Amino acid sequence: MTVEGLTKIIDCSALTMPDPEAEVTGAYIGDLLSWVMGRASEGDAWITIMSNVNTVAVATLTGVSCIILAEGVTLDDEVLSTAKNKGVNVLSTVMSAYDCAVALNGVLR
Amino acid sequence: MKELSLNILDIAENSAKARASLIEITIKEAANLLTLIIKDDGTGMSEKTLCSVIDPFYTTRTTRKVGLGIPLLKMACEMTGGKLEIKSREDDGSGAPHGTTVVATFYTDHLDFTPLGDVISTVITLIQGHPDIDFAYKHSLKGGEVTLDTRELRAVLEDIPLDTYDVILWIKENLADQYEAINK
Repeated sequence: MTVEGLTKIIDCSALTMPDPEAEVTGAYIGDLLSWVMGRASEGDAWITIMSNVNTVAVATLTGVSCIILAEGVTLDDEVLSTAKNKGVNVLSTVMSAYDCAVALNGVLR
Repeated sequence: MKELSLNILDIAENSAKARASLIEITIKEAANLLTLIIKDDGTGMSEKTLCSVIDPFYTTRTTRKVGLGIPLLKMACEMTGGKLEIKSREDDGSGAPHGTTVVATFYTDHLDFTPLGDVISTVITLIQGHPDIDFAYKHSLKGGEVTLDTRELRAVLEDIPLDTYDVILWIKENLADQYEAINK
């Protein structure tokens, strides 16, 4: 499943999608960036409510396929343009992290 | 990070990489404010580098040796309403004082305040990892002060290295005793 494919199936919108063909191979939930840094896997859809520039940095370090901002969280313009420039897909959903993971489970398995 | 003590470890490691000979770690707790100061006499940073350590991308993409340490510490203090300040003076070869000082303030009554955690382990890890660097540790709390200065230890120990097992053990127990005396 590609990130673009994901946006068509689960209830979310793309804030920026510079790499729509990135393959979603799993999911990870976490808000403590230093923790996520060592644990999220490449290709994961990373569900979080943290939306600052460090979130984008951790996404590039871990190679996650996209960031999914839960609970309706969005990014400010500056961080959004950083994500775009660094090729990091950022989606936003009104779902909670739990509901989003449940939705992903249906799609990924 | 889950504990501020891990941030301290991370920042002090930067000081060690900057070839510091003395690293001063000061924690002040007064009312709802915690101030963390990490001061070194290392090579310091240029204005340009100073800007880059706050930007996670500049650091993760081009100079990996610095890492996300500063951006994460900045985030940890700002999440509580506090702030991070870094002052640095680059070594220009003239013999003038140089080094870097990181000052982070936290409001401890904010829900997102990261607990200090196991700061004794941080001090021990630093001394063990860098037995040739001097560390001056001072933690001021409501009930008193915990201090450790490896320069004083060195004067007593003479040729015995600081990373000798018994010395490390003594430091660990000494710090624990000091904390216990305050908490009584």
